[in-house]
Amino acid sequence: MEQLFNIDLDKITSSSKKENIERKKNLELFFESGLPNKRDESWKFTDLNLIIKKNFKNISNNFDFNFDEKINFISDFEHNFILLVNGYYKSSDIKFEEKGKVQLERLNSQEKINNCNEINLYSLNKALSLGGYNLEVQKNYKCKKPIVIYNYFNSNLDNKIINNSNKIKLNQNSELTLIEYNIDAKSKFIKNTFETIEIEDGSVLKSITIQKTKSNGYFYKNIFGTQGYNSGYHNFILSSGLKFNKIDLEMNLKRENSNCFVLSGLSLGKDEHQELKTKVNHLAPNCKSYQKIKNVLESDSKGVYQGKIFVKDIAQKTDAYQLSKALILDNRAEFNAKPELEIYADDVKCSHGSSSGSIDEDSIHYLMTRGIEFDVAKKLLIKGFLNEIFENIVEKKIKLFLEKSIEEQINGI
Amino acid sequence: MKSEELKNQEYKYGFTTDIENIKAPKGLSEETIKFISNIKKEPKWMLDWRLKAFKRLQVLKEPSWQKPKYPKINYQDLYYYSAPKSMKEKPKSLNEVDPKLIDTYNKLGIPLNEQKRLSGVAVDAVFDSVSVATTFKGELDKKGIIFCPISEAIQKHPDLVKKYLGSVIPISDHYFATLNSAVFTDGSFVYIPPNTRCPMELSTYFRINASETGQFERTLIIADKGSYVSYLEGCTAPMRDENQLHAANVELVALEDAEIKYSTVQNWYPGDKDGVGGIYNFVTKRGACRGKNSKISWTQVETGSAITWKYPSCILQGDNSVGEFYSIAITNNHQKADTGTKMIHLGKNTKSKIISKGISAGKADNTYRGLVDIATKALNSRNYTQCDSLLMGNKCGAHTIPYIKNKNSSSTVEHEATTSKINEDQLFYCNQRGLNQEEAVSLIVNGFCKEVLQQLPMEFAVEAQKLVSISLEGSVG
Repeated sequence: MEQLFNIDLDKITSSSKKENIERKKNLELFFESGLPNKRDESWKFTDLNLIIKKNFKNISNNFDFNFDEKINFISDFEHNFILLVNGYYKSSDIKFEEKGKVQLERLNSQEKINNCNEINLYSLNKALSLGGYNLEVQKNYKCKKPIVIYNYFNSNLDNKIINNSNKIKLNQNSELTLIEYNIDAKSKFIKNTFETIEIEDGSVLKSITIQKTKSNGYFYKNIFGTQGYNSGYHNFILSSGLKFNKIDLEMNLKRENSNCFVLSGLSLGKDEHQELKTKVNHLAPNCKSYQKIKNVLESDSKGVYQGKIFVKDIAQKTDAYQLSKALILDNRAEFNAKPELEIYADDVKCSHGSSSGSIDEDSIHYLMTRGIEFDVAKKLLIKGFLNEIFENIVEKKIKLFLEKSIEEQINGI
Repeated sequence: MKSEELKNQEYKYGFTTDIENIKAPKGLSEETIKFISNIKKEPKWMLDWRLKAFKRLQVLKEPSWQKPKYPKINYQDLYYYSAPKSMKEKPKSLNEVDPKLIDTYNKLGIPLNEQKRLSGVAVDAVFDSVSVATTFKGELDKKGIIFCPISEAIQKHPDLVKKYLGSVIPISDHYFATLNSAVFTDGSFVYIPPNTRCPMELSTYFRINASETGQFERTLIIADKGSYVSYLEGCTAPMRDENQLHAANVELVALEDAEIKYSTVQNWYPGDKDGVGGIYNFVTKRGACRGKNSKISWTQVETGSAITWKYPSCILQGDNSVGEFYSIAITNNHQKADTGTKMIHLGKNTKSKIISKGISAGKADNTYRGLVDIATKALNSRNYTQCDSLLMGNKCGAHTIPYIKNKNSSSTVEHEATTSKINEDQLFYCNQRGLNQEEAVSLIVNGFCKEVLQQLPMEFAVEAQKLVSISLEGSVG
């Protein structure tokens, strides 16, 4: 493992002595355990060790956070923004919100991040993490406009690894929509992100991830969240176009009446690999969770969905649903799913469904008899297949913007 | 639902037969294997095969990924061979068989006397490590069908055994399969010649009797081109405070246009209501659809055993071959089950269907774990999976862990699963019509399982239906 990496810990200047020791310890831990491989049940369908070894050599940590471009703002809707360059918090402008209601700063202490469900990459992140953001919304404040995170990546990141961590906290009865917007300059790097989310009683967090351009980056993101009474978490994953992407989400519904939605619509092209792994823990009665995962697979792409619903014995009246659907358009493409249920309470409604197959020939035939060309008909059906995900987005402008982005992606197939 | 404590019905088959045994020396070693091979008068190639497996076993580790955990098994504290003394010289006819043994089978409801037996079922009765008797041999011989204990087949039909033994489950497969390959004692061997439809159901009845003994049976069924066979398997064991290991291997081979239907009603001793004792049922069952248009269908009703851990699988090699899996797994009290199937699609136009019904009550844990793997070359393949779980009470668990892999664009895979409890409206409806709570639950559960029960041959279906009701007695509250 050590041959693959060329890590310089001393250059991380901002850390205290205590933190330095901690970082060193974690790096050693990582070198001992190495990158996860297929032996690890959570990496059953994705051998990260093999993928990284095949594509990278002499991986070093990144210290270049220069940014001299102009931000290419989204003009479709008004929004606040955060600028991250190579994962590093640069600046922000929360101009649409009342003063002091939304606190935002660079995350300097690693202590607040405690996602232990993926040990190996967690140690690596703890050793090298630099400069993510720490976001907190005050009690009883509902944000007026969404916050867009402009995630810029430079062009000189070949064989670099970026580690950052973020912390998001919504105090009681608050609301926030967060849109992560990735803009990439086509270099080949690894990004390892750990994120902790705390949604207190009565609060709602909506999170959307979208990709502006295709990327050669290899992304791993671990999200660990807890939810309070009557809270909501809605996550829309629309990050098509990445060479490699794995999102590892664990949400804990700790108090009654909370709900968790994970919706994903992805279209994968040549040499692309996307994995979504979710674990929703129903720890209290009367909670609801809903997962809908849709993949369109072209060329030699590979899509993976590993979802798990856990229902604790006291979590009666749970309503949990998991659905994964894949359209496989090429014989080289592959879709793997492991929708898992672990249930210890009897008065629950839990179900899952998974299906994968080709585009429905009858539907194509129907459209073609009405004078629509094959290619157009195919694109129309793909769009219809993916658009179902947006049903739950209420804000019209954002919905239109997302539909537009997805359409661009489909046309790119 | 009103809470009412009901006494569990005693396990009906929990008696022991007091009979003098010959045992292999205790523990797992080359000596033990040589002892088994010697007492079975096996040829040298068989002993070599066993020793090869034993050598492989030294480097294998016991798997630990399964859901039900169990205390470490001390393999050196087990007997690997136990047979009634009277069976030392194989009896030539039923008249020579120890009356105590015949009595045992009568008590289990399996009369070995052909006249008394329901016509249409031929039985091979396996008691601990040996086959006691095989019925209707003459009639089967006429058709060229071979149905005999595997130890006999090794001597009389070495070519067939050599060709097919270990061809579906290789000796280096996994820990328990390899252990079985090294020390297997008896089991059934079936060969159906080409274009023959087996005129009766073939059946094996397994009985564990001796204490501190593991049962390692091996079954091999070969259906030659264009043939058909339906095979049934039943099992019981005495009530004991210790856990006993049952690690069997079952291999099925279906050649072109052949069909094998394999049904199991598993009723090993499940342990008492506090989870003491019971059988560890760690079985490897695998079938290969080698030829075009072949079909293998597994049906299982799993009600017994402290731990059931098995995945009857189909390897669909031949084009247009079909694999089916119908399962009911019922766990009550402290029982645990981790069962399901693997459908490996390799040939074109292959189809598979999985229907699994899991029922947990008491403090039991029931897991469905399955794999559907469609290879790149398995064009136009199709799979449909349905797994439903029923929970009774909030101290038990129901889990579904399906692995689904689809590697080409012309194949379709569908998976559906639900988990729920017994519908209150249905219960109310039954209560209103004069059924008490227990009867109502039994009726509803039987309805829940019907899709699987109707796959069983007639003789078994009746028994299985009763078993489903009995297994759940005392779980309603």
